[in-house]
Order: sequence, then structure tokens, then C-alpha cells
Amino acid sequence: MSTNEGKPKILILATLSGGYRGADSTGQSHLEYPPNTYILPVMSAAIFRESFYLKAFERGFDGIIVMYSGTDSPYKGESERTAVIVNSAYELMKKQEIDLRRLKLAAICTVCVRPFLNEVNKMNELLGQIGPLQHKTPAVQPVR
Amino acid sequence: MTNTLKIDALVVGGGIAGMQASLDLADQGYQVALVEKNPSVGGMMAGLSKVFPTLDCCSCITTPKMSAVAHHANISLMTYSEVQSVMGNEGDYQVRVMKKPRYVIEDECSGCRSCEMVCPLDLPDYDNEYGRGAHRVIYVPFSTAVPQKALIDIDNCIYCGKCLKACTTNAIDFAQQPEYVNIETTSIVLATGYKTTPYDAKKEYGGGRLRNVVHGMMVERLLAPTGAYGRQLRPSDGRQPDNIAYVQCAGSRDLTLGVDYCSRVCCMYAIKQAMLLAGALPMADITIYYMDIRAFGKGYEQFYENAKAMGIQFVKGKVARITEDENQNPILRVELIDQNSRVVERKHDLAVLSVGMLPGFDPNSMYGVPVDKDGFIKAPNPNISPTLTMREGIFATGTATGPMDIVDSIITAGAVAAEAAAYIQSHNGHRQLVAEQTERSVTHA
Amino acid sequence: MPEKDESQAKPREEPRIGVYVCNCGGNIGNVVACDNVARVLGKLPNVVTSHSHMFMCSDPGQNLIIDDIKEKGVNRVVIGACSLFLHEQTFRSAVERAGLNPYLYYHVGLREQVSWVHHDNPKEATDKATRMMMGGIAKARYMRPLEPVRLDAGKHALVIGGGVAGLRSALDIARRGLQVTLIEKSHYLGGHMAQWERVFPTHQKARVLLKELIERVLAEPNITIHTGAQVVRTQGYVGNFQIKIRQEPRGVHGAFPNEQEAVAVCPIKQRREFDYGLSTRKAIYRAYNGCVPESLVIDWENCTKCGECVKVAPEGMINLNEEAREFDLKVGAVVLATGFKPYEPLYGEMGWKEFPEVITLAQLHRLLDDEGPSDGKFYWNGHPVRDVAIIHCVGSRQIEGVHRPQPDGNVNNYCSRVCCTASMSMAALIRQKAPDAKVYDIYEDIRTYGRGHEDYYRNAGKEQVTFLRYFAEEIPEVMRADESADRPLLVKVKDHLTWGETIELPVDLVVLATGMMPNPVDDLIGMFKVSPGNDRFLLEVHPKLRPVETAVNGIVLAGTAQGPMNIQESCAAAGAAASKVAALLIQGEVELEPFVAVVDPERCNGSGKCIEHCPQEEALTLETFTENGRTFQRAVVTPANCNGCGVCAGVCPNRAIDVAGWRLDEFEAMVEAITDEIPAMEGAI
Repeated sequence: MSTNEGKPKILILATLSGGYRGADSTGQSHLEYPPNTYILPVMSAAIFRESFYLKAFERGFDGIIVMYSGTDSPYKGESERTAVIVNSAYELMKKQEIDLRRLKLAAICTVCVRPFLNEVNKMNELLGQIGPLQHKTPAVQPVR
Repeated sequence: MTNTLKIDALVVGGGIAGMQASLDLADQGYQVALVEKNPSVGGMMAGLSKVFPTLDCCSCITTPKMSAVAHHANISLMTYSEVQSVMGNEGDYQVRVMKKPRYVIEDECSGCRSCEMVCPLDLPDYDNEYGRGAHRVIYVPFSTAVPQKALIDIDNCIYCGKCLKACTTNAIDFAQQPEYVNIETTSIVLATGYKTTPYDAKKEYGGGRLRNVVHGMMVERLLAPTGAYGRQLRPSDGRQPDNIAYVQCAGSRDLTLGVDYCSRVCCMYAIKQAMLLAGALPMADITIYYMDIRAFGKGYEQFYENAKAMGIQFVKGKVARITEDENQNPILRVELIDQNSRVVERKHDLAVLSVGMLPGFDPNSMYGVPVDKDGFIKAPNPNISPTLTMREGIFATGTATGPMDIVDSIITAGAVAAEAAAYIQSHNGHRQLVAEQTERSVTHA
Repeated sequence: MPEKDESQAKPREEPRIGVYVCNCGGNIGNVVACDNVARVLGKLPNVVTSHSHMFMCSDPGQNLIIDDIKEKGVNRVVIGACSLFLHEQTFRSAVERAGLNPYLYYHVGLREQVSWVHHDNPKEATDKATRMMMGGIAKARYMRPLEPVRLDAGKHALVIGGGVAGLRSALDIARRGLQVTLIEKSHYLGGHMAQWERVFPTHQKARVLLKELIERVLAEPNITIHTGAQVVRTQGYVGNFQIKIRQEPRGVHGAFPNEQEAVAVCPIKQRREFDYGLSTRKAIYRAYNGCVPESLVIDWENCTKCGECVKVAPEGMINLNEEAREFDLKVGAVVLATGFKPYEPLYGEMGWKEFPEVITLAQLHRLLDDEGPSDGKFYWNGHPVRDVAIIHCVGSRQIEGVHRPQPDGNVNNYCSRVCCTASMSMAALIRQKAPDAKVYDIYEDIRTYGRGHEDYYRNAGKEQVTFLRYFAEEIPEVMRADESADRPLLVKVKDHLTWGETIELPVDLVVLATGMMPNPVDDLIGMFKVSPGNDRFLLEVHPKLRPVETAVNGIVLAGTAQGPMNIQESCAAAGAAASKVAALLIQGEVELEPFVAVVDPERCNGSGKCIEHCPQEEALTLETFTENGRTFQRAVVTPANCNGCGVCAGVCPNRAIDVAGWRLDEFEAMVEAITDEIPAMEGAI
């Protein structure tokens, strides 16, 4: 029944003070966007180390959007730290020849419906152009 | 059906001041009832775009507080409800509250808006969009409303029954009657807020008559992410304006309107809107006609300086009259104070009246709380105890006590909570003592 | 390739997961095939029961969960329903009612983030819902019970500063039933308010109003006051601050009949701070008549201990060998009400110090005060003042590059908020005291914004105050007039109310409406780890969300320590600060969310990386342990100071630190699960 099989998958890490509420607002407005989007609530985006993003690509995600509150973050240092980590993730991505545009950091506010849709659509457009992520080593298919 | 509620504090008004006062009292362990006349809490602030001087999105500040008052264990939230009568004495008030019928059973409605989708009638949205947007006859007030519950504008309903069929929880009840709640409370906090000066109040400015003369709150809705249009436009032709004028003190510091005071927020909101418009319309010229720029709060002067640096024009001048040309462009007749009061005419394509604040409600007849000559609640000791009213046990906060911005409203909400809490503490302590004494005397009898 | 963490601490008990998919009365169910999702999820390992239900939030829905916990031994709950912001609390309390730790439940948003945004794609929406739930189930396997961080809190607050804001907040906290210690650095209460002649908008005598407030504070049994006292050391965190106070000796104990004589015999003469130097005092003195505490005080800096006063005073009244004392306090919260100081103009700034006829607005207050140095007569140098110019925005609204910076390189680019109305009020008072005086008011903008303030502006106009407007770039010049002139000073203004004409005003006195600067409190900033803003006033967390709280839990701000305010605004801010303190301490316990950093002692090798990057003060420390004769270092979290931002988790080279409830391994498991194969089943959608 895996109807999303073969389509690009987008992981959205959305902070509770920003992007996650933005996604909720989009839902409250009943606006359509593609269902290949998997939104995980996070408290602060600074927790993710660069290897996490690489692991997510390896597991089969083709694009990642980190939707945080940017400079409006309630956490001191979150935005700076997240930017640093995303930059080191870019370094690792370069080494693995992964298109850097597959990982995007976006400031999304709690009622940012249009910016939310915009980010999702732009990432989908990009994945439409550059196609799913081709791994040099095939992704492991564990049996759980 | 009548319920009775015994509480420590009744907060009247669910705008930012009332919400914050409720939270600050409830966080101290007191039982609070918050009564709001509109179907959602949030007040005027819920409709704003971004806020000065941080340019935070306004909803990001209101929505968490709105949901906090709805979920707080010590707060009973009553929306779409109005106080009917206040009886009793200092420290022991009996208040009757009417819950107006929504024609939707609040406990059943899941806020899914299926009813809205099938409702065949659109009505202009005066409450939230100043008539520039629309809602259905059955509707959830706005996307971030708390509670997320529908209501029916029964006067305009044609009883087609479509919503009845669409509703999955059988929440619709056309025969719903008002409900009454009797509240026994130690204290009352009035957070009844303000209203803006009607923009047609000053006839010379043509508000309501000239199509391209709008007021500040309309522009807020154009700028807000939740607004009806999502872009900037002028009303006559929907075109993007590129030469915008702000008319300051349109309803403040104007003895001809009987308003002799400064409304405190208009300078800053005009500057903020000008900055947001300059961001949305990079080619537009924006001019602010002012008497004095009152950027007095923390970080406000720097905000004003930033606006000047962005190229927003500030002209010290009093606008005497607005007319329009054949293309409905507003023409401002301005007395240039900086130039020996020379009078000039300036053509713009959109004029925004920076309307001020008027008292929202006169509490005297209902609460026995008099207002001052400006119409806002009178404070017997404004310097040391700014939240006291002339009546013991009744307190006031936010713009019910005079024009103020959001920061100051939130601060006075904290202050009123402290004042009311001390009152409740002494009063309940006293009541307990009396109760103990009574008990003792009974035992001895 | 990325490390695999088999050793990452596994939950201690075998997870028994209950899965619940809400139909939401069709809101979810009309798009997502809820029954199928529930059936598919039931096949996953550890899932012991899986349901779909029309309304999970309803009582029957909640009871389903409670029964499963009690009867089927479910110990992890995953619910797919509407937004977590709507019902997370609802389900958390349901889980708790069933006797399970409320943090062993995970919420997946299937309405706002699935059914409402994928109407057109029911199949794919169902697939997405299934995968999101699989993610939740994977997380559930890792979840551990969490307890809110609970800290005992002393029902006792320290208020630093005995000005109007400190007094008002002490009163409000005490009236709520908490203990308050109020310390004031100087030897009397009331701060700058005592020095004002009058207060707007009521035109009351400031000292009368202040006296009323002080009397209320003194009558409050919960308040202990120490004057001449300062904080010298602090330790601890919210609920439990240990504070060392140093109290300077007063030298004089109580009132005595021949005080005047004791003062008269003192040979030392000093400028009287209370009158901003417009009068003098002795080294044994009283700040002003009627001040609290009332007794005289010794100015130790200038006292030569000559003993003359001791000889005159009754035995034991004066002790010139008194020592300072130190004592310790344990308090749950601290209010910083450290106030402001008036801006001190630079030498020559509009004639300041260059010409004795240039004074500040604060000095004008003293000059017009009936109990002031000239007994309220508007005299200067023994002569009645005829014409006076008030210049606004001295030390406020300064522009870098235009205004001369202060010695520390700063300019004050903010508005001081009170000077306009104060100037208007004083201008009218001058006209009352000297009806023939000409008053020139030289301003940039008149900011009489507050309730009743505009009346002062209008009144000044009625009193025939002459207004001239200058631009910040063209600062008015104050110069010495020709000797032949009958006014000693000349003020040159480029007036923008008259086409920018340069106007020369001959005057007797120039009043500089100086603004507010924060009192220098670098010592307190260092000890309490609070931050000043760009304007050097103390900084709040957020002007609207948390307007009186600092970034340090339990330290709040009141009054002009935070920014320029008038008396009314200071009192309101003091009340708001008191509300926060009361809410924090009233239960005798502070409860914080459990989402704080946790260190895995097995993995931490004391690299110190986390401490290096941690943005919170004192949330993480490196401590030395000795176990089985081996000494090593390890990071230790102080939960009270941690806000769970997770920066530490992102930088630890050993993955030894994580945020409880939001662990990295949980996220990794979720990512894996979302991309996993969905279990096959017969007759699927």
C-alpha cells in the first residue's frame, strides 16, 4: 500500500515556537500541499548535529527543511548554533556530492502560512528538477 | 439553565491586558473567571500584523497567551458572554453573566469548519476585517480564534439546513437559548479596552467618504499574514499604492473632536506600518505628517531613526483637510509647521488616518466605577497605585485606564494582578478569620 | 558512516505501546483511512493494542486509553489526532489519571498537518499518516518517564533598591504573604522621587506621596529594610539564592534633641547630593528633613573622626568606630530596582560647568522646592531669575557622530520619556513663581504622551511659554553675553518653527532637561549574570512575552533599572515584578518543565565541549569525581538553569549529553521508522 513509494520525501524539522505552529496554521486554513512532507516537532533546532542530517538523507529523505524561529527564537544561541551546524552539514554533503539545496534552513513564524507553503513548494520544485537523492551506497533496508 | 461559580477574581475583557491579568492571578493560585463579549479572546491585538519595536509577528505573542487562558486550570473562560448585573458589596460581589447563544453547542463543536464550507451566504466581516473581508453566516471567527468554535449570525441565517447536515458532531442548535452564570467573586478586574476613533469622525478628512482614505487598523489587516488580501492595495481600484500619506493625530490631541489627549500608540504604529509597507512596496514614497513624533518607549527612538534611515519622509505639519482628484487620489491640505505654518497641497494615492484610542466602555452604571474627564476609568492615586478605581475591590488595567501600547498594557496587567492579589489575600484572610470567630462563638453558645 | 548507537541506554522495561488514531468526526477520517492505519500499526513490534476512534478527546476516547493502561498493561501511548497544541494537555492528564507517567505519551498531528492539507490525496494522506504514526511509535520505544524539575523555593524575596519602584514591589510582594528584605545602598529611602518638587499628572507634592508609600511599607510586618546595604556575593539559583549583604555603619543611632548642635560643630563642608550640589552639608548630616530613616548619618568618606559631634551628642548616640557588618540571606527570587541617575552633561555641553548659570532640570526641581536651597524662591546667585531657557533632550535622543560621546564612548540614543512633561510642568511652575519671567522652551518633539500630560503642554502654551524647535543636528549654543547686556547668557537656536531662522535669546538661566541613565550596577550584573541592553539599561527577556523577567530564572526587574519611566510607570512595573515573584514563590516550590539536558555518565569523558558552547549561565559545569580510586571529570547539569536549548547535544563529541524528552536517538529512530517499509496486510486500502 506504499503509495508514496518512489516519490521524493521531505523531512521537516519544525520548532514548537515557530515552524510547527506555522504548519498548524496552514492546516487551519485548509491549504493543500504535497503529502510527501513529514513534519517532526522539535523544541530547538540546535540539538541536531550534522551527522543527523546525513543520516536522514541516507535513510531515504531527499530534502530537509529546518523550520525554526530564526532570531525570534526563545532559546538564546539557537539560531547561531543551528546555522553553524547546518554549515558543517553542508561540508559533509559536499564530500558526499549531495546537492546543498537539499538542506534548507528557514525562519517560519507561528502564522507564516504563505512562507510555509512557499518553502514546501520550492523544495518540491527543486526535487522535481534534480530528482531523488542517488546514494553512492544503497540505503539499508532493515527488517524491523 | 443557571450555574454558580465561586471565584477570587472576575476579569472582564479578554484582550491582551485581561488575558495577562488572568494568567498572572491564576499563576498565583487564585480562581479566575475571564469574561469576553466576543466569540474569541485576543482582543484588538489579535488583529494586528507585526508589533513595534521588535517587529515580532503579533500572533506569535497573542496566540500562546490565548491558548494559555483557555487551558489554565485556574481560569474559567467564558467567551461570547456579557456581564448582566453586579450586586453585592466590596469584596463580595455577585455578578450575573449571560452566555449569548452561538447556536452551536460549544462542547460538541470540533472547529472543523465543515459547516463554513457548505454555508451559502457570505457577510462582510466588520468585526475582524473592518468590512474588507467576509465570513459565512456560520463561521469560526478567525483562524487563530480561541476557542476554535463556530457560531451563527442568526439574524442573517436563512435556515437552509446545510450546516446541520455537514456537521459531524450534531453541534448545531438553532433553538439555543442564552445561559446564565452567577458568579460570586472577591474582586473584579476591568480590562475593557478601547475602541479606535471612527475614521469618519473628522469630516474634513473624508474618512468613509473618500475611497482612498483608510485608517490604521485597515492597514494592519492588509499587512497581517492572516489578512483577507495578503497584499497591499488601495480600495478604489485595487492597485498597489506608491505614494502613501500618514495623517497623525487623526482623532487625538484634537479639541474639535473633544479629544484633548495623546493616544500614545499612533506615532509608533504609523512608523511600523510605514516600515512594513516600505518592505512590501520598495518603490513607494511614504510620508508621515505629524505634530510631534512621540517615540518614547524602550527601543522606540532607535526604531524611529531606522525608519528615517529607510527613507520614510517625516513632515511636521497639521493636515487641515483631505479632498480628492478625478482619479480618486487624496489631496492633503497641510499646514507646514516647520515653515512658519505655510499651507500647501500635496497629492498622494492613499491616505492613512492614524486614528487614536477612545474609551471602549463606561463602567459607571454597571460597576459603580466612575470615569475621568477623558472618559477612561478614573484612578484615585494614579502615580503609586495606577490600577485602583474609585471603588474598593474593583481594579482596572490596560487601555481601560487610558491609551497605552501593548508593552504598557502587559505591565499594568501584571500590576493589577499584584494589586488584586493583595486585596484577595487580605480579604479572604479576613473572611476566614470571621468564619473562625463565628464558629468559635457558635461552639461556645 | 554515521555511528550506530547500540549502547545508547535502552529503556528499562519492555515497551507495551497503545496506539490510538482519532477520526475527529470525519475531519481526519474523511481523508485518512483511520481504521486501516490502526490495523497496520497493530502489526508493529511492541504495539499491544491499536484502535481508531471517532473522538479520542471525548470522555469515551480518553477512557479507552485509561482502560488499556490499567487492563492491558500499556506503558507507552501514541495518539494521532488534531494539533498537539489543542489536546496534548488533555491526553497528558488522561494518561496521568491512569497512573502512567504523563511524559510516556507522544502526540502525532494528523489533522492540521495531514487531513486538512491533503484533501485531494486520500491514499497518500493515509500513507503519510501511517508513517508519521510509525515515527511516533519508534519514539515511544525510547521514551522514559520524566519528572518536572521541582525546586524548593524560599518564600522570601530580596528587593534591591529603595526608590519608589523597590518600595512598591516590596509592598506588593509582602501583601501577598511572602517575606521581603529590602536593601538600599544609600542611607535613606525614596530614591530620586524625594528630590522632585512635584509629580505629574496630579501635581501633588512628591515627598507627601512618597511618605505615604514609605509609611505603608514600614507598617508591613513582612518587610525588613536595611539601608546603607549592598550585595557583595551571590550563589545559587531560582528558589534558592544565597546572598551576602554588607551594611555600612550609620554611625548615629536614633534621634537626639541637640542634633543641630552636633551638626553645627562638624568642621567638614560637602556638596549636598540631595540638592544636586546647590547647597552644602556637613560630614554628619541628614539627607533631607523628614527622610526615612530619620536619624543623622556619618559621611565616612569625608569624616575626619575629629570627635566634635560625639562630644556634643548624648552618650552613645554617635559611634565613629562602628564597623560595617555582613550577613547572609536565603531568598527565592530577587527584584532589581536599582533605578537611574540623571545624565551628567559633558563640560561645555550647552555651557554646562562653563557658565554657572547653566543648571539641569533636576536642579531646577530643587530650586523651585519650598524646602530647597532657595526656599522655593526662583533666585539664582541671590538675584531673582527673570528669563529662562529650557533645552530638551540633553543626554537623550543622541546621534552618533553628532553628539559628543561620553567618556566610555557611548551616546544615549533613546528617549528618556519623562523630561518633556516634567519640563512643561516646571515651565508652568516658573510662571507661577515669577509671573514676569519669560520662559523659552527649546525642543525637538514635545512628548507629553501620558494620561493628563497633554494638559501640561497646553497649559504651558496658555502661560505664554515661547516654543522653539531645534533639530538634533543643530544643537543650540549657550554663550556668555556681552558685559553690557543685562542678561548674562545668550542662547542661539536655529528655530524650525520659523523657517530655520537663527534666534538669539538673552536669558538669566539655562535649564538642561537632562535624561536618564541607568545607575551603574556592573557589580550586580556580574553577580547575578543578567545582561544590559544596548542602551545599558537592564534587559528583559522579551518586551511583551516576559517584560519584567531577565534571562536568569528568578531575577526580575522593576522600574527605571530597565529603562526610563515616570513614577506611575515605575509603580506599574514594580507591581508586575511582584506578580511574577508571587507566582514563582507562593507554592514554596518552583516547578520547571523536565525538558533539560541530561548527561550519560557512561559516555561523558569530561571534554568540556558542552560547557564551552552552552549559552545559559551556570547550566553546565565540569566537576571532578573520584570512584574506585579513579579521578575523572564529568559534565553536570544544574536543571534550574537549563532551558533545554540542546546546543550541548549538538556539540558533544561522545553523544553523552541530550535533552530529556527530545533525545537525538529518539529523533534518529523516528527518521528511520518514517522511511521504513509499512507492514503488509491483506485487503489493504
